Amino acid sequence: MKEELFVSGRNIPNIDPVLHVWHWHIPLYLFLGGLAAGLIFFATYFYISGKTDKYPTAVKIAPVIAPFAIAIGLVALILDLKHTLYFWRLFTAFRLESPMSWGAWTLGVIMPLSMVWPLIYIKDMIKYFESSSKRTTAVLKWIDGLLNDVNILKWVMDLARKYQMAIAWALFLLSIILGVYTGILLSAFNARPLWNTSILGPLFLVSGLSTGAAAVMWMSRHHFEMKAFSRFDLMLVGIEVFLIIHMFMGFNASTQAQQQAVALFWGGEFTAVFWGIFFTAGLVVPAILEIMELFGYKVPAFIPAFLILLGGLIFRFIIVDAGQITRYLY
Amino acid sequence: MKEDRSNKYMNPYLAGFLIGLMMIAAYYFSGEGLGGSGAFKKVAIATVNTVAPGYAHEAAYFAPSVENGKSPLNSWLVFEVIGVIMGALLSAAYFGRLSMKVGKSPKITNRTRLIAALAGGILWGVGSQLGRGCTSGLIMSGMAVNALSGYIGLAAVFGGGYLFAYFFRKLWI
Repeated sequence: MKEELFVSGRNIPNIDPVLHVWHWHIPLYLFLGGLAAGLIFFATYFYISGKTDKYPTAVKIAPVIAPFAIAIGLVALILDLKHTLYFWRLFTAFRLESPMSWGAWTLGVIMPLSMVWPLIYIKDMIKYFESSSKRTTAVLKWIDGLLNDVNILKWVMDLARKYQMAIAWALFLLSIILGVYTGILLSAFNARPLWNTSILGPLFLVSGLSTGAAAVMWMSRHHFEMKAFSRFDLMLVGIEVFLIIHMFMGFNASTQAQQQAVALFWGGEFTAVFWGIFFTAGLVVPAILEIMELFGYKVPAFIPAFLILLGGLIFRFIIVDAGQITRYLY
Repeated sequence: MKEDRSNKYMNPYLAGFLIGLMMIAAYYFSGEGLGGSGAFKKVAIATVNTVAPGYAHEAAYFAPSVENGKSPLNSWLVFEVIGVIMGALLSAAYFGRLSMKVGKSPKITNRTRLIAALAGGILWGVGSQLGRGCTSGLIMSGMAVNALSGYIGLAAVFGGGYLFAYFFRKLWI
């Protein structure tokens, strides 16, 4: 694209009238970022409140997914850039008013810390994977050996153990920023009416926490913890539904541009996929299964967990795809 | 603990009647009947369209579904099958049957059963496309509108089933 040749702001390929620049990378990243935020949030929250023994999977095991999720998400983000090799320029400045700057710096700090956290619990992880996967156990044992043999790594891990509470607080706060930022990234984009609502921040945070809780529920082998996370998840799904209803109410009470944007979900082309797949299969059905479990029905934890995770992923694809085709009228 | 309901099933005549009502509702609201294989066809087309869009637009089998530029997955049958899966999950959870297992004869291994299921599924997929529909799409939806093809399909599918059941009985008994 030769931007310098444009003579009109009304005819820009891929941007006007319909934005067509964000493909699978961004929603995938938003999902993985939210999932990592949720996992780190629960791990650090229960560590800080001294409930490690009550929720061992949440604190010690599940956070191992977070650095992988962030790493895959970052690869997706970098692939999305037009000038891939210039990604480092985001780290040459910090702009308080730019959500992208907040995101880049948050990711820059949370990534190494989220790698250190599971390494503190590597012995517990070896125990967890011993019965299920020989290959994973072997890799973990090899890493454990490295942590003991290589001096600098040993020094880092000793430092991390000594200041674990400080790391926990840092990760706790950063996880909330990461979760909110995945929504703010879109809502700060004021040229697209569907995204330009401040509810997206809390909505993406809650959805990220819900996917994190689902992942813990899936991995946990302790009946008490599994049930507890099923309850957390149920509560988060309730909040999510509340926020979604209010998002739509806000749009419907707003300008014509917003009303047209939301019409995509009320009879428009995203109606079936939003209400049928995300809302019903990704929120309502897992919520019903979780309620049934609370009432003593036998429901394997991975089924509602899988549906919640899938719903979270589809939700981000819908919001990114639908948001790009909404526009102000002229 | 709940009472054990894992062996309780609905009266099949009542279930059949309810499916009939569903069929009327499906025709009324979507203009199409019920179907099972159609959703898999759409998924296959969407996959081909993603991997090789040029081929999908040229091949006679794929082209009609991708010509208008919209996703082939945006179809009633895909949503219907997702609904079937969700309904099955809820119903199985309610009756205490929600678990992961391979249903088979105790005399064969899971591996044999899964290979046989895959092979049968492939044949069924090809057959359903040659016959323009499967048990639900061709026979049930067809007979619901009194189409001759539905009755012929019924005779062929169940007749074929009786003929071949003898050779594959070991997979089940």
